[in-house]
Amino acid sequence: MNSREDVVITGWGCVSPLGDDVATTWVSLLRGDSARGEITCIPVEGCRVTNGAQATLPELTGVSKKEISRLSRASRLAIPAAREAMADAGILNSKGLSVFSRLELSISTTACGMEHGESFLHDIWSRNPRHLASKISRYPAHQQIGDLQQHLGFSGPSMIVSNACASGANAIGHAADILRAGFADIVLVGGYEALCELVFCGFDSLQALDPHLCKPFDLHRRGLMLGEGAAFLVMETSAHANKRGAKIKGRLAGYGHTTDTHHITQPDPTGAPLEKAIQRALLQAGLKPSEIGYLNAHGTATIFNDGAEALAFARVFSEGIGGVRISSTKAAIGHTLGAAGTLEAVFALECLRTGDIPPQINSTHPIPELATCLAQPGDKLTKPAVLSVNLGFGGSNAALVFTAA
Amino acid sequence: MKNPVSILSFGISSPGGTTPEALEDFSQWPVESVHEAAGRRLRDVSRIHLAVEPVNRWRLKPRLRRASPLSHHLMESIAQALEARPDIDPARVGLVGAFFLGCLEYSVRFYKGLTTEGRRFASPILFPETVVNTPLSHVVAELGIGGPVYTQVGDTSCWVSALRTACLWIENGDADYVIVAGAEEFEPHLLDAFHSLRWFTKSHTLRIAEGAGAILIGRQTSGAIADITRIADGYSYRTRSQAVAAAVECLGVFDQNLPVLDTATSWIAETASSLLTHRHLIHLSRGPHHEAFTASSAWNTILAARQRQHARMIVPHWGLSQNIAAVEISRAANV
Repeated sequence: MNSREDVVITGWGCVSPLGDDVATTWVSLLRGDSARGEITCIPVEGCRVTNGAQATLPELTGVSKKEISRLSRASRLAIPAAREAMADAGILNSKGLSVFSRLELSISTTACGMEHGESFLHDIWSRNPRHLASKISRYPAHQQIGDLQQHLGFSGPSMIVSNACASGANAIGHAADILRAGFADIVLVGGYEALCELVFCGFDSLQALDPHLCKPFDLHRRGLMLGEGAAFLVMETSAHANKRGAKIKGRLAGYGHTTDTHHITQPDPTGAPLEKAIQRALLQAGLKPSEIGYLNAHGTATIFNDGAEALAFARVFSEGIGGVRISSTKAAIGHTLGAAGTLEAVFALECLRTGDIPPQINSTHPIPELATCLAQPGDKLTKPAVLSVNLGFGGSNAALVFTAA
Repeated sequence: MKNPVSILSFGISSPGGTTPEALEDFSQWPVESVHEAAGRRLRDVSRIHLAVEPVNRWRLKPRLRRASPLSHHLMESIAQALEARPDIDPARVGLVGAFFLGCLEYSVRFYKGLTTEGRRFASPILFPETVVNTPLSHVVAELGIGGPVYTQVGDTSCWVSALRTACLWIENGDADYVIVAGAEEFEPHLLDAFHSLRWFTKSHTLRIAEGAGAILIGRQTSGAIADITRIADGYSYRTRSQAVAAAVECLGVFDQNLPVLDTATSWIAETASSLLTHRHLIHLSRGPHHEAFTASSAWNTILAARQRQHARMIVPHWGLSQNIAAVEISRAANV
């Protein structure tokens, strides 16, 4: 990015396994809660691991039961999260619809409305082809875009990025690119992911799920916990926000992304591509590593991910890693894949807003590289910026730097 | 987009071959009749056989041995686009892939496996290949692409969204050049899906195809194949009647005297023909249209870029399920 156009955030919202809004989720995170439990929303019998972090679907006020029955689980997570973000930014009218008839969307997901695709296949295989059209039409990602636009009253260009687990951070960075290039003045950014059988069994087949506790950055970590949720942010140029009198709640100061070619499912063990993404984000933000007070790590709790991340962090913060507080909130809400980047960005922004840092739970024997910097209950933010990083299958790495309003 | 960009090279992997001439005559494409997965109906489809040259050159690569057909189609088209411009260092190139269906074949096989053999026996080899961004990951690893990489999904029109991302990267200086690629693979369950959606109309036969197309774009420059001078995206709809309004609005962005490339298939062809009665409709291919979604979008862009009869034309990208977008292609400017 060449332009220094200021990109600000004027609202955010989320639905997570810890709560159906930001306030509830944030209080639970600070308390050190974990949403781990038996998965009941999808069939998992026969898997090696049968628990994870399942969200309670929020009520959708003003939507008929018939229409709700047609919505994918992904849309039922995304719509309330987007509505909370838009209300927070003051861009909903009295009818709960967008005040902007055209509103650009930058969206991330990996599994779309997969349960409808799965149901379609079951019907085909059982030679019971009923309601096939409604099932298959609700599956693709652009149908969730249609659901958002219909229920929140806007249209406009949409970009759906599916860079695996880094998608959410990419969606936020892409929105900043759009704003800085002058392609738009305001963008609704969001990520959503619903638990589904195909993806759950996929991670189970890779033996990447921890059967007991998800322990990011712990010497005895054995794998991740899958979760689901959605988070949305309203991002705009500072000029646009000021013109409409919006309260600026945070700034996206920097974005960096890289692709590593090491392996489809494993990051470069040296962490070098992630380090490069972080350095790019810091460079764009014009900040030094020492100015970062909190780092929301990807921290899936797999052997390979956490090892690579720790090496990258150790190099980026080589002048004193003890000065930054690090935690992976995936131990609490699970790995939400396409929603992870946006959910964790919301947590980073809440950290800036409140000064509270979510503690690292379940890590009782931290790996040596991060032993002095994992966040503890009650830790407070003492520096002006926070960092959120994500890695994904296919070698995607992304880093976001946020500063306070 | 703020500034025009130039199309510098392209690559094609289609059932009719890997040369641009293959796109000009669909009647020469091989056709096979395939049964719907659950029904008795036979449908004509055009497929690529990976054992045939030159597409088979990627089968020997260790990383691609187990890769999906889509990955092979994509590799071939992107490799061609890069090979046509050896003066451009892949390390300075970004990559945006547009996909409607994604790695469908392996996804169906993986899901079939876990439902018939038991969830504990789901294949750890197949699962990574079902992830939507895996094909681009293979491409980056094999071809040494060093710029930003995004996998974008949506209906056919997401090709235009991907093009917009590429223009953004060039505008912002994130990449000097960007490859924009569209790729799809055929899987028989598609026939059941499209039948249930009533996309096989009597008046406009939908002949499904597979393959990939890629264009390499950069800042506007002399000696290019063509320029992309305007993009209109984000005209969404939920019903077929709303699609008409969306199309009118989208095409209204452009000069009304410009010719329009005939790209519509299936049910939307009726909408398109009613809307375009007073416009100069151009046909650049002989034979019945084949539909390979984002790959078709890439092929239509390449056809429009190569033609020399018209100085400017509009290429509509009719998403069959959510969005309509269009791109203006112009004869390359002397910059």
